[in-house]
Amino acid sequence: MHKKEEMLTKAGATALDAARKKNVEAEVFLLYNRELSIELREARVETLKEAEEIGMGVRVLNHGRMGFAYSSDLSRAAILEVVDNAVSISNCMIADEYQCLVEPSQYYPPVSCFDQQIVDTMLEEKINLARASEKAARSFDKRIRMVEKSAYEDSHSITVIMNSNGLQASFAQNLAGIYIALVAQEEEDSQTGFAVKARRKITDLNPQQLGQEAASRAVRSLKARSMDSQCLPCVMEPYVATRFMGLLLPSLYGDAVLKGKSLWADKIGQPVASPLLQITDDGTLEDGLASAPFDGEGTPAQKNELIKDGLLQSYLYDNYSGRKAGRQSTGSGRRGSFRSLPAIGSSNLIISPGSLSPEQMIADIESGLLITEVMGMHTANPISGDFSLGACGILIKAGQLTRPVRGITIAGNLHQLLQNIEALGSDLRFYGAKAAPSIRFSQLSIGGE
Amino acid sequence: MLDKKELSKVLTRALRRGGDFAEIYVEEKQISNVLCEDNRIEKINSGREKGAGIRVLKEGRTAYVYTNELSPSGLERAADLAAQVLGSNNNTEHETINLTPRQSGCQLKYLRMPDRVAFDEKITRVLAANQAAREMDAEIRQVTVALADVHRKLQIANSEGDLTEEEQVRVRMVVNAIAARDGMIQTGYESAGGALGWELLDQVPIEDLARDAAGRAVAMLSAVPAPLGKMPVVMHAEAGGTMIHEACGHGLEADLVQKGLSVYKDKLGEQVAIEKLSVIDDATIKGKYGSFAYDDEGTPAQRTVMIDRGILKQFINDRLTAGYDGSALTGNGRRESYQHKPIPRMTNTFIAPGEDDPEKIIAGTEYGLLVKKMGGGQVNTINGDFVFDVQEGYIIENGEIKHPVRGATLTGNGPQALLDIDRIGKDLGYALGVCGKEGQGVPVADAQPTIRIKALTVGGIGSDDTPKTIKRIRRM
Repeated sequence: MHKKEEMLTKAGATALDAARKKNVEAEVFLLYNRELSIELREARVETLKEAEEIGMGVRVLNHGRMGFAYSSDLSRAAILEVVDNAVSISNCMIADEYQCLVEPSQYYPPVSCFDQQIVDTMLEEKINLARASEKAARSFDKRIRMVEKSAYEDSHSITVIMNSNGLQASFAQNLAGIYIALVAQEEEDSQTGFAVKARRKITDLNPQQLGQEAASRAVRSLKARSMDSQCLPCVMEPYVATRFMGLLLPSLYGDAVLKGKSLWADKIGQPVASPLLQITDDGTLEDGLASAPFDGEGTPAQKNELIKDGLLQSYLYDNYSGRKAGRQSTGSGRRGSFRSLPAIGSSNLIISPGSLSPEQMIADIESGLLITEVMGMHTANPISGDFSLGACGILIKAGQLTRPVRGITIAGNLHQLLQNIEALGSDLRFYGAKAAPSIRFSQLSIGGE
Repeated sequence: MLDKKELSKVLTRALRRGGDFAEIYVEEKQISNVLCEDNRIEKINSGREKGAGIRVLKEGRTAYVYTNELSPSGLERAADLAAQVLGSNNNTEHETINLTPRQSGCQLKYLRMPDRVAFDEKITRVLAANQAAREMDAEIRQVTVALADVHRKLQIANSEGDLTEEEQVRVRMVVNAIAARDGMIQTGYESAGGALGWELLDQVPIEDLARDAAGRAVAMLSAVPAPLGKMPVVMHAEAGGTMIHEACGHGLEADLVQKGLSVYKDKLGEQVAIEKLSVIDDATIKGKYGSFAYDDEGTPAQRTVMIDRGILKQFINDRLTAGYDGSALTGNGRRESYQHKPIPRMTNTFIAPGEDDPEKIIAGTEYGLLVKKMGGGQVNTINGDFVFDVQEGYIIENGEIKHPVRGATLTGNGPQALLDIDRIGKDLGYALGVCGKEGQGVPVADAQPTIRIKALTVGGIGSDDTPKTIKRIRRM
């Protein structure tokens, strides 16, 4: 891998040199990525995927005019062509005084994002992790009819960023994850269950727990049917809460605020949610999946307090939007690959937990709904905050979970929903780089019969 | 791209530890994306990518290796890795594979390659669309216009001796408009695209798209919250076919059926829909977003009648699934890129037009929801529950279209919905999108005539104006 980093750095230097010769400033983002993916079906390896990709994205600033081009080919001729393309594009753009490249930093936070044990673990042991989740799922309940897929995945990448301000930074990262999807059946009724866990450290993966979680999710939805349409107090499980966090995020993006696409414009310091809500974006979190020493443009990672006691503290900015807003980048210029420009995004996003256990939160409810799954979140509107989603859950009666429901909808407006937060659970769970506890809301509109 | 000898070498090498089938998929792709927001060209993205995916099948198991290293040594390494991962230890020399190129009879023709259109021209059209949307109404607060094109060259060679070469071009334009009034923000969206070159913009002027999107955003400002509960739904043809894509399309993909994950398994030959309903998947329709000449395994594009007058006739498959049940290939083996293995996917999926007059369908509905535009959707194929989003909806009362409603998702159950359709219009309207499955997205189109479904659950917030036939919301 060390040779790969050298190769990326050399390619970056070639690109910067070509840009300098054309009298433009430039930034080069280079990535080498390897992935391994194992899918088991009925305890046998069904698909095994091993792959690598490499590429560079070149952003040029041609007297304030920005151009971008990318390529997966790092030969000298291809690099010169990418720089040429980026410069041609920049010639079609209008100059923008806020476009500028990140300055090199003296300090990058010492974030740990690499686990040597993922590299050292043999393939057979990785396959066994997937086998173990399947075994645990099947032994959990005899109604587990089939395991659709039990999978293990890991990825390893090297990122290099260089720009004509003299910034040059690189880091290696890896992560490992397991996933299981299964079906439970009772008489004529079949229901699905799934569980997923990805971690920086392979030893933090617990396949037995994963298998049991997926199995219990499937079994508890057996014989689910609809319910009457009504408004009820609800508790959302952590997974559902993290899905809503995705819907909320665009309101916090600095560029959305500048473009009139956020309902939270001009609301810094004001209440935007229940005083119980605290949300933090932390790029330095130990073992966080989105932790890295710097963001997709080279700005050092940092911790951003977004909502404190329900009051809006800060938006997320990349370099461009930070300057345009008269503020600074919050280290939120993110890139998933070399194929795109950085865009504002969260790193590790966390809703702080409360002190009640989920059981305590449910015990207080006379008549309500525990929401366990939502469908169609990609169709919700992040700009207006309106959502109307398919959902599954379990009815709550007199503080107890009773029967499962499915084929219902939940609807409302996200901004209103945040005001309706009544309690936060102590059960903080990470799903990818988002973490949330169970959350209780005073009411939600449920569509059914 | 690679020459025949090189491709043959890779396949032979990939099979040297045994295997039933090997395939190499070589892709060279050039993309361009022009984005206008905030009244200016915000960014232009352009890029080139080349890669190959090597697949080996052995006793129902798949090894998949992809790489950007297309040099002879890079491909050799990839082929070796694919050969080795399925765990056989013996090194048997496989006989050389002779590749026969397919006759290029059904190649798609493009009039003007979008990657040869100068960026200045793309910028001019995009800015014109932006202008058209903003001029529609003073309440338009923000407009986003995106114009994307992709030009791919593909080579698909396999150990059965087939070599397929195809050039695929797609152009897509999307306009999002945001309107605001009294602190409320609503959005309107419109898109067009196809397996076409730059000629798409002559067929569908981007300025018209922009005006429609802006008009919709402003109309939604007057919309009241959608009602809550079960009611008849009329889906206008112009809404597109998201419903059929989710209600039964995924459930008819052979891999889900064979794995016992589809509510339609064991139902071949049975009546799964009303007698007047036929559902077809057809990649041969000229220029549609989901069309192609060959699928991503090299199988020629086909028209497959999945449900024929209510009877379930055929699932859509790929090589692996067709091999398992001995079906003929339907040409639905698709993949997002060289980085993904192919799986059965839809192409252009639609309900065939019927005989009813669309105007009469609305006029004959006492109370219900009229859907004029659908957004995205999702389905749980095991139980058949699906949702889709209503981007533009109206209340129908006594056969007349009344006020617009907002914030509604419709939910239903696929098999039940197909039996609950009671009117099928003689028109047909398309929508396009990217369908996601197992972490990979492919371009698709879907369509339907104006249809009426007896009952779907509308997930609105509700209001007190819902008539007595709908259960009133019990407020706490």
